[in-house]
Amino acid sequence: MTSQEFQPKIIAFVCNWCAYGAADLAGVSRMQYPPNVRLIRVMCSATISAHHILKAFQQGADGILVGG
Amino acid sequence: MDVDKCIACGLCAEKCPKKVDDLYNESIAKRKAIYVPYSQAVPLKYSIDASQCIYLTKGKCGACEKNCPAGAINFKDVEKTISINVGGMILATGFDSYDPSSLDYFNYATCDDVVTSLEFERILSATGPYQGHLLRPSSKKGPKDAGKPPAKIAWLQCVGSRDINRSGHRYCSSVCCMYAVKQAVMAQEHSNTPLDCAIFYMDMRTQGKDFDRYYENARKNGVRFVNTRVHTIKRETGSDNLILRYVEENGTAREEVYDMVVLSTGLVINGATVDLAQRLGVTLGEDNFTKASCFAPVSTSVDGIYACGVLTGPKDIPHSVMEASAAACAATVGLAPSRGTLIRHEETPEERNIDRQRPRIGVFVCNCGINIGGIVRVPEVATYAATLPDVTYVEENLFSCSQDIQDKMTQAITEQGLNRVVIAACTPRTHEGLFQQTLINAGLNKYLVEMANIRNQDSWVHSDDPDQATKKAKDLVRMAVAKVRLASPLTQSPLGVSRSALVIGGGLTGMISALMLARQGFPVHLIEKSDILGGNARLLNSTWQGESVANRLEKLTDDINAEERIQVHLCSSIKHVEGFVGNFTTEIAGNGESETIKHGVAILATGAKESKPAEYLYGEHSGVVTNLELDAMIRTDDHRLRKAENIVFIQCVGSRDANRPYCSKVCCTHTIKNALALLEKNPEVRIFILYRDIRTYGQRESLYLEARQKGVIFSKYELQKKPVVIAAGQCLEVLFHDPVLDGNIAVSADLVCLATAIESHHDASLAQFFKVPMDQDGWLLEAHQKLRPVEFATEGVFLCGMAHYPKPIEESISQALAATSRALTVLTRDQIMVGGVVSRINPELCCGCQGCINVCPFGAITFNLDRQAAEVNAALCKGCGACAAACPSEAPMLMGFNNEQLYAEIEMALCS
Repeated sequence: MTSQEFQPKIIAFVCNWCAYGAADLAGVSRMQYPPNVRLIRVMCSATISAHHILKAFQQGADGILVGG
Repeated sequence: MDVDKCIACGLCAEKCPKKVDDLYNESIAKRKAIYVPYSQAVPLKYSIDASQCIYLTKGKCGACEKNCPAGAINFKDVEKTISINVGGMILATGFDSYDPSSLDYFNYATCDDVVTSLEFERILSATGPYQGHLLRPSSKKGPKDAGKPPAKIAWLQCVGSRDINRSGHRYCSSVCCMYAVKQAVMAQEHSNTPLDCAIFYMDMRTQGKDFDRYYENARKNGVRFVNTRVHTIKRETGSDNLILRYVEENGTAREEVYDMVVLSTGLVINGATVDLAQRLGVTLGEDNFTKASCFAPVSTSVDGIYACGVLTGPKDIPHSVMEASAAACAATVGLAPSRGTLIRHEETPEERNIDRQRPRIGVFVCNCGINIGGIVRVPEVATYAATLPDVTYVEENLFSCSQDIQDKMTQAITEQGLNRVVIAACTPRTHEGLFQQTLINAGLNKYLVEMANIRNQDSWVHSDDPDQATKKAKDLVRMAVAKVRLASPLTQSPLGVSRSALVIGGGLTGMISALMLARQGFPVHLIEKSDILGGNARLLNSTWQGESVANRLEKLTDDINAEERIQVHLCSSIKHVEGFVGNFTTEIAGNGESETIKHGVAILATGAKESKPAEYLYGEHSGVVTNLELDAMIRTDDHRLRKAENIVFIQCVGSRDANRPYCSKVCCTHTIKNALALLEKNPEVRIFILYRDIRTYGQRESLYLEARQKGVIFSKYELQKKPVVIAAGQCLEVLFHDPVLDGNIAVSADLVCLATAIESHHDASLAQFFKVPMDQDGWLLEAHQKLRPVEFATEGVFLCGMAHYPKPIEESISQALAATSRALTVLTRDQIMVGGVVSRINPELCCGCQGCINVCPFGAITFNLDRQAAEVNAALCKGCGACAAACPSEAPMLMGFNNEQLYAEIEMALCS
């Protein structure tokens, strides 16, 4: 990893009942992935509106994942 | 293994030197002698395979004990005998997959690429031996082999089922047709290149709800279905390819080469279950399934012992889940008087009021042994946490979940006057409840804790990058602190429950359900639209096992009339329903009067009806009847039956076609049962059954066998080539094409019996009254087709019987018991707790657009005309927050996950 390399900041909104559980299971299975993502747990992906997505972009996010 | 100490870090398995076959993965993969049985195991704890462990077998090693950071290994642990007094017992011992090793003509034992369906299931699984990649086992001998994907796979049906010749199992295993179709579809999805899938079958038995649609879609998507039984599998010389030999319907011998063959192995009751049954004195029938009347499907030969699942007969998941609830109902009927007598209540300290207090946040950072601490620099995270706003106390723990730390945490909360807590450790999905309890013990509202998942979603997945993992841990702690700062105590308030039930539909299913609810101790209102109880059962002669339906119905009617707790409302219908779980108010009308009933639960058992066909001269010629009409003719000993020479049955009349693309499930058995009854009356009569697939699933297969042995002629027809019925005076001429003779046949029939479809009443108003969905065929749609088969997303409303889907008596009764069982989970409570993580709408901000009402999947939001604002019923809200996203003015607030908190988390995630 060089200092010039672009490191995106990714926000993931994940549903407690599925995608968040899947992320936990990835840990149990010791699957490795890049450390650029920050997960935000929600009770249902339906609770994510354009406001949240725009807010994240506004704060400097380079990519957003909604998992549900 | 001390499960209380095990933290499932996996170090023991990493260090264990002994590799053994992984039975969960059907021995295609290896595991260690210390292991988690499967990755989703609950609780997630390791266990030692005593038959393989080097220390336990040879007295040396102990690597796991040396390396376990939690001291959870106890080699001195011994088997304990525990005595428990119980009032009932339920056997749910399951099944084994049939072992095809002895079928030498399939070469299962000698060819790697001949696998059983269970092995194939593991191959397709993401947690399986090949991580979900579809590969030929012959090309994947070790972990280093890349493996080759197959291009052509065959499934052979009825391996160890419907086979009196080699396996001795004459029953049909019920589930294999559907799982083979599913596996073929999934294999195609898993394959990167076009995959040729062929299923070799005798009859496709996809009789379950929505199964036929799935089967037809698979066919459309290119899965081939070949109607034959393959007699030999041989390996091609010099390769791992497999040669299949079979005879086509018209007698032509064929050979085809495949890369892989899946044997659709049947369900078998194992020896251990047979031994257990013997010790308990439970009589097992032929093929080792329990013997039970169709009217008491989960009972066994011993009073107080009940059975469910495959032990009572081969069945799929929805039916097994249903039977599990049914057995629970049956087992608790006799125990109803002692319900609740063994409950112990916990004392908890009074909740501290934190109103107007400045947040004082305590952060507890867990090392989880070396699971977190080995990667993430925990002291650095702890030091960082202390710099965050409003954090007044930070502590580092070895194991935050251990009992001693829990006690210390309770003490710290009290002594430091903490009013918010962050636990940086593992996942809230497994540990939030534990830490919420810690807060309760410390006198804090349980919603004032937030977890930062620095194990499962950090140290475990970034183990090669401690710097980034530490940075991420700090971010996660910062996010959690920001969120919990904005948290406020949430309350749950009790709501009383009307401890009575409304059962809608007075057929056999509704009657059983009402009687069971009453015997469990609850008042029941049983509503029936006609003037008599019994429904379709009044038109049936016998169950498939030959028991008289009329006798049972008479006894049941007497029992219901004698039961004081049941109030029967005949000629009644529902006019209006209000309320929610525990508190329904329903207005019923009947005989010119209306009555309002308060009830806590509703069971929908409205049944279905036999459709009246518009083909095959039905209604035009007196010699064409339906199966129910034939039942009546048999009952009344109609003279036409005695002198008939030829009788023709036509199956799937109105089922499995474009209008009704579903199987009516009961007709094949009904027809064969009637054919046998006709032969009994008149052994000279010749009977023809024209069918598409004979679906005498499970143990009903014995009826099919008997009918063939007694000379009933079965001839298969295709939907495109339906039989033709022509009037010929008093008689009828039936013309059809027989695929085996490959010729057209004409039969002069005295009687033609049509196995007509069962159709829904399409009662949309009932579905609307209770806010429950109906599927495209008009069947009420359960909450989850596999795991919640008698419930709806709307709490407190349950379904059973043919309103759900056509089904035979024994399945309707199982479902009636199951619905009762689920209803008891509401009725046995004095009160239900509502609130917590639910949505609240700020009326000041609500503009009245009602967008939230449209998106709420639970019907929890109504519009208050007086206040001109939408309102959430906390008893119905499930806390999904869809309303909060839909609202243009952010009026709804999902408690515990409100927008302020989400924005704070977003900001904190990105501010470093």
